[in-house]
Amino acid sequence: MAIRERVSQLLREMPREPQFSSQGATLFVDLERRETASAYTPRAVTRMLLGGRGANMYYLYRLLDESLSPLHPEIPLIFGSGPLTGLVPSAARGNCTSWSPESGVLLDANAGDYFPSFLRMNGLDHLVLYGKAPHWTVLMIRDGVVSFEDGRRYAGLDNIDMRDAVARDTGGMWRRNLAMVNITRAGENGVLTSGIMAGPKAIYARGGPGAKMGALGLKAIVTLAATRELPTAQPYKPYNRVIAQKLLATSVVKNALSVTGTPFLYKPSRLLGAMGTKNNQETTWTEALDANHFDQYRPGMEGCFRCPVNCRPLNDLHNAEPDKYDKGDGPEYVTLGKFGPNLGIDRVESVIRLNNICNDLGLDTASMGSALAWAFELFQRGIIGTAQTGVELAWGDAALIERMLFMTAAREGFGNVLADSTRAVEYGHYPAAALKYRMAVKGLGQSDPHDARILKAFALGLAVATRGMDHLRNRATLEINARINDNPAFKAELYGGPVSAEPTSYVDKERAVRACENIYAVGDSVGMCRFTTKLFNSPSLPGMEEFRDQLANVTGLQFSTSELEQCGLNVMGVERLINHRVGVRRQDDTLPDRWFDEPNPGGPYQGERIDRQEFEAMLSRFYEISRLTSEGVPEEAWRKELAGALGA
Amino acid sequence: MAGASMEVRESVSTVGQLIAALDRLKPGLARELDDPLYNIAINDEILLHAVDSRSVKDGDVVEVIPTIAGG
Repeated sequence: MAIRERVSQLLREMPREPQFSSQGATLFVDLERRETASAYTPRAVTRMLLGGRGANMYYLYRLLDESLSPLHPEIPLIFGSGPLTGLVPSAARGNCTSWSPESGVLLDANAGDYFPSFLRMNGLDHLVLYGKAPHWTVLMIRDGVVSFEDGRRYAGLDNIDMRDAVARDTGGMWRRNLAMVNITRAGENGVLTSGIMAGPKAIYARGGPGAKMGALGLKAIVTLAATRELPTAQPYKPYNRVIAQKLLATSVVKNALSVTGTPFLYKPSRLLGAMGTKNNQETTWTEALDANHFDQYRPGMEGCFRCPVNCRPLNDLHNAEPDKYDKGDGPEYVTLGKFGPNLGIDRVESVIRLNNICNDLGLDTASMGSALAWAFELFQRGIIGTAQTGVELAWGDAALIERMLFMTAAREGFGNVLADSTRAVEYGHYPAAALKYRMAVKGLGQSDPHDARILKAFALGLAVATRGMDHLRNRATLEINARINDNPAFKAELYGGPVSAEPTSYVDKERAVRACENIYAVGDSVGMCRFTTKLFNSPSLPGMEEFRDQLANVTGLQFSTSELEQCGLNVMGVERLINHRVGVRRQDDTLPDRWFDEPNPGGPYQGERIDRQEFEAMLSRFYEISRLTSEGVPEEAWRKELAGALGA
Repeated sequence: MAGASMEVRESVSTVGQLIAALDRLKPGLARELDDPLYNIAINDEILLHAVDSRSVKDGDVVEVIPTIAGG
C-alpha cells in the first residue's frame, strides 16, 4: 500500500476534533502534491503512548513501508511536540521520527529551543511529511495557516546564513514569534551525519534526519505567530511555579547546569578512566579540557522557551581577527568529548571552534565525531591510507578536522566517505576489517564519549537503546553518584528494587536501565527536557508525580504514576516492534567488540571490560522485566494490546 | 565552595571522619556535601561507592567533584 493510501486509511480512523484540552492537530503534508489534511491523535493512542515521541511512534508504525528504503519519499518524517510542550517550565522539547538512513533502524531525535513550543502555538502537535517536493521548498506555518513557499533562494545556505535570511525575509523575531527547523548543505547533500537544525545550536541530531529531510526536498519549516495561551482543562500556572521552584532548588541545576552546563562531566569521566579517547583506544585525557578552562570563553548562558534553567553555555573566543566561528553556542559535554579526546584534541579553543562549525554546517557532533575517530584509527592501523584520504590523518590535527567537516558537508574528496558515517563498509569505502573498530550499536555511532567498560548499567543502556548507541534513551546516570550508591534503601526506592552499589557489578543493573527508559520515554512524550527529568541528573527533579499532576491540569486526562510507567514501557515496546520490522533482533542489542575484547587500558579501573556471558545474562534479565521475548520484542499478549490501540 | 580549601589539624583516617572534621570547622558542610551532585576524589581517583569508609592519609589530596550527566 502506498503512503497516500496509508494516510487516507489513518485519516478515516482519526477524530476530527480535539480529544482533550490543549490538544493540537496532526497535519499530514504531501510535499509532492502540495496538499495537506489534518486530524487529531486518537484518545486511545494518547492513553497508551502520550504525545511527542510516543505518538510519533504511532504514526511511524502505521505509515512505515519497510519494503522501501529510509530515504524513499514515501517513508515519512514526523515531528511531534508533547502535551506539556510550551506550557510547563523546562518542557520545550519535541521529537523527530523516521527510519534512519544512517543506522538503518529507528530514527528518533529530540530537540528544544523554540520550534516544538511554537508549533503548538500554531495549533499543531504533529507534522507528518512525505512525498518529494518538486524543488527546494519551505513549509510556512503562519498563525496556523500552512503554505508551500519556494525555498530555492535558500539552497546552499548553512545555519547561520539561513537564520539571518529567514528572519530578514519574514520580518519575524527569533524567540518572540519566529521559529524554524532547517537543513544545511549537509542535509541537501544527503550527508548521513547531518541533523535538522532547530536553533543556533539546537539540533534534531541522531540518525541522519538532515539527510532524510533533504530527500523530501524540504529546506525548512518556519512558524510565525505570536505566542498565546492554549485552552487547558484547569489552571496550570500555580503548579508551574511548584515545578519551577523544584527545578531551581535542585543542586545540579543551581550549582552546575545554570552556571557551566554539561562540560562538568568531563572531569569525572577523565578521572574514572572512562573518557573515550582516540576512538576508545585509550580512556583518559588531559585536564586542559576540564570545564573550568572554558570559563574565560563563556560570556553567558542561554535557554529554551520558558525554561528557567538556562543550561546552554554561549562562547566567544575573543580572537583579534574574528570570523563567523569566533562566537557561538555550546559546546555540550558530548561535543567536548567527541571533538576533544576522541580525536586527540587538547585545546579548548579548538573544541569551541569545531563546535561552532558543526552548528553552522548542521552536523551531529556525536555521529560526525564517531565517523572521524573511526577513520583516524583505520588510518593509524594502515587499513586505509593517503591514497584514499588524500592527507595523513593525524590525531589532534584540528585544522585538518576543520577542513574535513567542510568536505563532509559538501561530500567532497574523503568527505564523501565520512558523509556515509557508519555505513562506510556497506557502501564500499572501507574493507570489512574496518568494522572491528567501529564504535557503534545498531549502526549508530556512540552519542557521548563515556567509555562504558566500567559502569555496567551504562553499557546495558547503550546496547538496548532503540535508536542505537545513545546515552539519552536510558542512561542510569546516577550510577556515577556515590551518595546514592552508598544509600541502598534510597537507591532501591528510585529504581523500584535493589540495584548493586558497585558500578562494575552486573547485579540488578537491568532494573536501573528499565526505570530510566520508562521515565525518559514519558518525559519525551510529554515534552520535558531530559536534563530536568528525574533520574538523569538528579533524583530530586520533576518525575512521574509532576507529569501526572500537570497532565491532569493541562489536558484533563487522569493518569496514575503506574499508568505513566506503562506508557513509558509502551513507547519502548512500539519502537521495538518498528525495529523488528526493519530487521533488528537480539543480536543487535550488543556492544562494540572492543569493549568485550580489550580491557580498559588505564585509570583506577584498568583491566575492566564487558564479560560476554555476564552481559548476555543481564540482557536476558532486562528482556524479562521489560516483557520482551528472547528476541527482544513485546511478548504476545502485550503485542496484541499494543496492536489494538495502534489500530494495526 | 569552588576553589576553596580548608586545613584539618585533627587526626582522621577515613573520608567519613574527614567530612565530620570539616563539618566541625564549617558547620553545615557535611549536609551540603551529602548531595548526589558531589563526588569525592582522592589523589585524582574518583570514588563511586563505599566513600565514607575509604581511608585517607597525610598528604592525600581530597577533592569535591561535581558530577552531572552530560548531554
